[in-house]
Amino acid sequence: MSAASGLEARLRRVLDERYHHRHPFNVRMHEGRLTPDELRTWVRNRYYYQTRIPIKDGLILAKSGDPSFRRRWVHRIHDHDGTAQQAGGLELWLRLAAAVGLDRAEVEGLGRVLPGVRDACDDYVRFVESHDLLTSVAASLTEIGAGEIMKTRIEAFERYYRWVEPEGLAYFLGRTRQAPADAAEGMAFALAHAKGPEDEERCVAALERKCEILWRLLDAVEAAHARPAVSSAAKLRGDPMGPGTLAVLPERAVRLNETGREVLALCDGRRSAEQIASALAARHADAAGVWSEVHGFLFEMARLGVVRAAPPS
Amino acid sequence: MSAPRPYNLVAELTYRCPLRCAYCSNPLGYAQVRDGLDAAAWTRAFAEAAELGVVHVGLTGGEPTLRADLREIVAGADAAGLYAHLVTAGTTLDAEGLATLRDAGLRSVQLSFQDSDPVSGDTIAGVAAHARKLAFAGAVRALDMPLVVNVVLHRRNLGRVAEIVALARELGATRLELANAQYHGWALANREALLPSREQLARAATEVERARRLPGGPEILFVLPDYFADRPKPCMGGWGRRTIVIAPDGRVLPCQAAAEIAGLEFGSLRERPLAWCWSEAPGMQRFRGEAWMPEPCRSCPERGRDFGGCRCQAFALAGDAAATDPACSLSPHHGLVVAARAAAEAAVAAAGDAPLRLRGGAAARPPEP
Repeated sequence: MSAASGLEARLRRVLDERYHHRHPFNVRMHEGRLTPDELRTWVRNRYYYQTRIPIKDGLILAKSGDPSFRRRWVHRIHDHDGTAQQAGGLELWLRLAAAVGLDRAEVEGLGRVLPGVRDACDDYVRFVESHDLLTSVAASLTEIGAGEIMKTRIEAFERYYRWVEPEGLAYFLGRTRQAPADAAEGMAFALAHAKGPEDEERCVAALERKCEILWRLLDAVEAAHARPAVSSAAKLRGDPMGPGTLAVLPERAVRLNETGREVLALCDGRRSAEQIASALAARHADAAGVWSEVHGFLFEMARLGVVRAAPPS
Repeated sequence: MSAPRPYNLVAELTYRCPLRCAYCSNPLGYAQVRDGLDAAAWTRAFAEAAELGVVHVGLTGGEPTLRADLREIVAGADAAGLYAHLVTAGTTLDAEGLATLRDAGLRSVQLSFQDSDPVSGDTIAGVAAHARKLAFAGAVRALDMPLVVNVVLHRRNLGRVAEIVALARELGATRLELANAQYHGWALANREALLPSREQLARAATEVERARRLPGGPEILFVLPDYFADRPKPCMGGWGRRTIVIAPDGRVLPCQAAAEIAGLEFGSLRERPLAWCWSEAPGMQRFRGEAWMPEPCRSCPERGRDFGGCRCQAFALAGDAAATDPACSLSPHHGLVVAARAAAEAAVAAAGDAPLRLRGGAAARPPEP
């Protein structure tokens, strides 16, 4: 028993230190400092995460041979997908999308999901796919922080984002009730099934991994509105012995092709990544996928240190 | 065979250093090697390196900031179009000196720490260095230059990986290199005192994984040391393949330790152009490519990945630089590595941590207060 409560304390500490309530984007959201466009980008992209949740829960169901576990866990899918009688979380999120002024069908079509967001969410599904039941349940324990963050969010929306229609907040409201119950259920399962230090390590690592995924999702959203500039750490130069341009950094050199160079030429610290991606998509209207590729490229260049993205002031 | 394009130059400007780390990568006989190239000669070397395709130069040593002409050397690297990166212990240069180098074209800094714990750090360095390093890191960040933190890991600091990561985050490092000690030169002489246990390594690896999941952290480099892996490391990315090393006396080498291998003839910039030293020197050609490989390397499907491992290690342990790296579990000499691990474990079990034999001197003693 003492070992189990030790695990609970460790899991809670992971959340305290790594949950995305600490992410600068969420901090700005809750302090009322997001622009309407930033808020819309978040709503549009976070919808992709919502769509992955029932898929993740389906994978978790398929890992259990215990009917009573499945009976309890399956309500999560109903919560998200809805029932004949009641709208689910996905529908409520689309109402939020409409309330912030997005086109519902466009959001539902997932055509403008940022590649960094898509990668993070797909990583979560793949993680659950490739890990056992205990680890997968442990990864879902970010729900422990969800109830609180939803309350903060409702307050922030009511106070700072009054232009958002109040009926759009139904999703947040629903989660303030669901998340604590889900979290208690998941925690009880983890504590009951983690036998010994190795299992505990797996649970802690899984929850850390999940926190990292949520963090990356917001990194990608934030980067879309940041205004990238070529980093002073990067030296751009031609290469007489090879094609393209080299971006040389303290520990690596990155070879850029003509398109990459074209993107970097627009990274002047004034245009946002979204403006750059839209401009290039318009310039190359004949080619498919340019918008997404540019966002993906800029996100990767920021990760490698070639560009430095200043957050919007 | 024709020589591949080098991308990276390691310029060992001097073997002099105020620190006395027991795992120093300089040769045991470093004190006999003089600084043989002046700033003009280094500048010529940089221009020749750029012509061969080099894009990046690490200015290292010893302690490169002990060179009175470092500003000219940095300017020479910049004039050649190379990305100039300073590798320093951070105890000899002040903020003003760093700003001068930055203005001359220096782009980035790698700063070594011996430990996160100041007392342990100073003991490992053999001098009081830790506090100065902290101040120097502040100077690098104040100039908004990229900071890479490098910490050599061994049994005395491996238990503090989490604290070392915290230090690197606090200092604003863009990258943290957790470099497990490689057992050449001084480190080989101190092997029993430095070799960790497998359990220590496993715990450290777990901590590294935790740190990598931590948002906003530096990029972390950590490779399991070859004494504990089944396969050798792709030493230098292959002999004479990617990186040119120029020793303080002007010898052109494939790695920092290769001059220790008996019977190899390398070129020197005091006598020959860099292109010859890189492409034609017999020592450089000796282990380039795959033709030199014995079995089991020759037919090994992994030979294109690890390039047969480390020639210096094969020479130091097996007495034959052309042997398969003894770190490889397929090597007929692998028993030497297994025995070294066991000996280190037994020595620690019997008598606790062995004293360090500091670079250039006798057993370790606590630094002066």
